[in-house]
Amino acid sequence: MRFPGLVENEILKFARQRRFRVVVLILMALIGLIVFAQSRGRERFLKGKDWHVETQERMARIQNWLRDGRMPESSQRWARFELDRLRYHVDRDVNPDAVSGPLFVRGFANAASYLLLPLLAIVFASDVVSAEFAQGTIKLLLTRPVKRARVLASKLAALLLAITLTVLFGGIVAYVFGGIAYGYGGWEAPVLTGFRSSGERLDPAAVRSIVLWKDTILAYGLAWFAALCVGAIALLTSVLLRSTAAAMGTMLAALIAGTILPRLAPSWEAQKFLFVTNLPLPDYYSGTPPPIPGLTVGFAAATLAAWAVAALAAAFLVFVKRDVLA
Amino acid sequence: MSTAATLSGSSREIVLSAEHLTKRFGSREAVSDVSFDVRAGEIFGFLGPNGAGKTTTIRMLVGLARPDRGRVQIRGLDLSRDFVKAMGHVGCIVEAPDLYKYLTGRENLLHFSRMLPEGAAERIPELARLVALSERLDDKVSTYSLGMRQRLGIAQALLGNPDILILDEPANGLDPAGIREIRQLMRHLASERGMAVFVSSHLLSEVEQTCDRVAIIHRGRTLATGPVSELVDRVASDRLRLIARPAKRAVELLAPFGEAEITGDDRGGDGEGAIDVRIPREKVPDALRALTAAGVDVFAVERSLASLEEVFLEITGGETV
Repeated sequence: MRFPGLVENEILKFARQRRFRVVVLILMALIGLIVFAQSRGRERFLKGKDWHVETQERMARIQNWLRDGRMPESSQRWARFELDRLRYHVDRDVNPDAVSGPLFVRGFANAASYLLLPLLAIVFASDVVSAEFAQGTIKLLLTRPVKRARVLASKLAALLLAITLTVLFGGIVAYVFGGIAYGYGGWEAPVLTGFRSSGERLDPAAVRSIVLWKDTILAYGLAWFAALCVGAIALLTSVLLRSTAAAMGTMLAALIAGTILPRLAPSWEAQKFLFVTNLPLPDYYSGTPPPIPGLTVGFAAATLAAWAVAALAAAFLVFVKRDVLA
Repeated sequence: MSTAATLSGSSREIVLSAEHLTKRFGSREAVSDVSFDVRAGEIFGFLGPNGAGKTTTIRMLVGLARPDRGRVQIRGLDLSRDFVKAMGHVGCIVEAPDLYKYLTGRENLLHFSRMLPEGAAERIPELARLVALSERLDDKVSTYSLGMRQRLGIAQALLGNPDILILDEPANGLDPAGIREIRQLMRHLASERGMAVFVSSHLLSEVEQTCDRVAIIHRGRTLATGPVSELVDRVASDRLRLIARPAKRAVELLAPFGEAEITGDDRGGDGEGAIDVRIPREKVPDALRALTAAGVDVFAVERSLASLEEVFLEITGGETV
């Protein structure tokens, strides 16, 4: 009857199934492993170098370029930002190339947006409706004096909440583990972002300098948005297929295809309209060259949103109209 | 097929009415033109063999499936148009009493009470007592026996204080004690609380012992609707089973009264045996006198009920379907 009560029901079911605890464990184990492996590699890389000298040399080189005056306008902007960034670190006696806890958190957003977060969203979403069919409880759920659309809406609300918590939790775990390895400070450091590639060359015209914590929030926001969209699409497969295994398998196949396709068929441009190609929003935002020309963060977000809206519309239509005979 | 002279009386209010329900799966018509009324305070049996269309009909009654033709009215509300209001009067278990196994009994009841108007949760202790689950209410449903799940399912169905309780094969998988408990509960709800109870079954004996009125469904069609006693009498009144010794001699003596045959393994004849015989009610005393006069020992005489299949044959033979 009352919508919050319905959402409470769905949250209860999420929380009481083993799935939630498994996801928490997966996140912790995976992030722990990444931190461990990365910090090992880092130690070897930094050994025997004096970053003070190196950074001073870099700053001098950039200053020379700027004085030279032959640098194009767009590159000058970038050069000034980089100079500021290096100065910021030297002033605080911090190696500008060293990883800090916050930087690790920021990097995790990009790494996780490809596969890990979509995967966890799928793990949650593919179960939402099909589990009720598998348990037979759908027959009780849909014979109560509540409209079917409201039942599905409450499930959607709980799903979005679960995905949100997962993204938040991933960030927090990354910070805790990253902090152990690299220290917890450094949120105020400036970072350069917004590189755009035009053809083969990196176009620095749109480069911005942004404080790390803001950059991190933006990146997680984008990763979160992508995960929500994947969740919406997975919800549709759960409604359509009525089997958790089938729904999860379908979505996993799509995810894997999405990571392989740009490599195997980079010339097929229409793939930029597939939802999987658009998942790494944080990458497109920070300026990693996209696999397909024309993929900007705005385009990718809009495409994902369109997929999610269409999937939800189809999911509601089918859920409300279809006979329950299982 | 008059429903006027029912046990519970036609003056009682109709709670649920199914009108010409028809459901097609592809080219197969699973349910064809099924109609019946269920009244307040009666237990209405829906009898038919497995696969006759019982569950499909029930799914249409509770809005899980949409009829291709016909409609369901609950307290005068059209189910397809007024789903929420209509279902507010219904408590049901469709097929098995499937509840959330990883939740406790209480959590399950709380879960479903949140789908009802305010106040449903306050009925939980009372309902738990009614279905004798108070002690185990905080245990996970996965630890429950089938009988306990069935009772929890009924408690769930009663949460909204419904006018009609719809139960699909509640006796399935229960032991005799469990069946008796459910039967008593249904009686209590119908007579004490004036609830209409709709119960499906494939067991004639079950329906005969529990229900006031019955609709018999076979291959998607209702063959007969009426008071249970009337229907059973129509097909079962001339069937007797005797335990007698020597069985062979008894069959010979019974022959003039009706067709008799020895059932079971012992067809040798000189020992004790079970005999099925069809004798019109008024001739039964004469037949028994003939047996005793001839020195045949009679250990038991009981009215034997036809198997459901025979009931159908009997009814379909007597009527054009």
